Amino acid sequence: MRPLDDCSTTPVLNLSKLLELVENDRELLAELVGIFKEQFPLLLRSLQDAVASEDMRGIEVTGHTLKGMLSNLCATRAALTVEQIERMGREQQQSGLKDALSALEGEGVGLLSELDAYMAESLR
Amino acid sequence: MKILIAEDEAMSRRLLQKTLEREGYEVIAVENGRLAVEQLCRPDCPRLALLDWVMPELDGPGVCREVRKRPELPYVHIVLLTSKGSKQDIVAGLESGAADYLVKPWDPEELKARLRVGQRILQLEDRLVEARETMRFKATHDSLTSLFNRGVIVDLLARELTRTCRENGSATVLLGDVDHFKNVNDTYGHGVGDEVLREIARRLLGSARSYDFVGRYGGEEFLIVLNNCDSAYSFARAEEIRNAIANIPMQTTIGPLQITMSLGVLSTLDWPHSPVEEILRDVDAALYLAKAAGRNCCKIAKPQVLSGVLTEVIRDEVPRR
Repeated sequence: MRPLDDCSTTPVLNLSKLLELVENDRELLAELVGIFKEQFPLLLRSLQDAVASEDMRGIEVTGHTLKGMLSNLCATRAALTVEQIERMGREQQQSGLKDALSALEGEGVGLLSELDAYMAESLR
Repeated sequence: MKILIAEDEAMSRRLLQKTLEREGYEVIAVENGRLAVEQLCRPDCPRLALLDWVMPELDGPGVCREVRKRPELPYVHIVLLTSKGSKQDIVAGLESGAADYLVKPWDPEELKARLRVGQRILQLEDRLVEARETMRFKATHDSLTSLFNRGVIVDLLARELTRTCRENGSATVLLGDVDHFKNVNDTYGHGVGDEVLREIARRLLGSARSYDFVGRYGGEEFLIVLNNCDSAYSFARAEEIRNAIANIPMQTTIGPLQITMSLGVLSTLDWPHSPVEEILRDVDAALYLAKAAGRNCCKIAKPQVLSGVLTEVIRDEVPRR
């Protein structure tokens, strides 16, 4: 059994990298945040369902999609956590899965609030 | 330039789309592999494609395999985009037919640079295809008139004979020879002779239908295959073509020249199951008859009388064409 990696020192959001990725296009960033706020809860719910029903293939696939989304948003910490969840799904590793999911849920909340704060700040 | 993005995750898709639109690409974005294959199998498909590996319906390597199975399609430069970064994954991705591979999270500058590499490869491919097509044209067409050359027009005739035989159809074969062409060359020079041949080619093409075949058979001889043209219309079509040459003087650098053509006419209905060599021999014999009859006319090849008449004509020494 592989222990859950400690991501606590990793930043929630790498803002400078994110701005580089969108080439400083604030309008695009706002659009992406909008897509994220719409899609993330749906994908998270899907992941929660897969974990609850021990659907390891579903965990791997949904984890993979979430990882792509979080990576593109430079949400480094949440991306690392979901990468572990994806790996657990692929390796059929049940132990630690619920803890990892809880960590992701918490990181999601933190990420959303950080994104909201940034967007509010940039609108000033 | 058109580019296809196939990515199931909405945010990545939008981010890629915007990044590439800023670079001047015309972006087509789809959300699964099946839709990507549909786009890439269209005749006007994008020549650049950026495919996510993990997608619903069909994954990125699956899309590559589907596209590479269709060699008739134009070459598409496919870049796989994925977080699968192990050596085995890279090998599997490239083996599936991808031309390049980019690991997520991607860097916008690296992405653009790799697509520019793709564009350079496509430009090179276009140049090679163009060169191949030029070579193909040169190998199949007469350099002076741009009509089919002798080898090709005879092959096309043989193919048409097989088709008419199989389908109980008919075709008309015309062999035309420019009257007194040697005099044109001797009197005005070969440059003017070439002008005349080019103008004849232009008029023959103008008189033929898009599905007929026109070729330069020899020096001043032209072979025309009129597809789906039965004997009832053969002579009238041959006369139209003869008139197209004779009715209007040809404009040349030394002034207008009155040029005429004699034609042998053969309907394949009268030569069932005959090989191409026999058809060519007999339409040539009919052409001899047209020359013997005073030129600037058409003579129909008739199997039952041709051999006897021809023997007589040859004995009487038909004037050289």
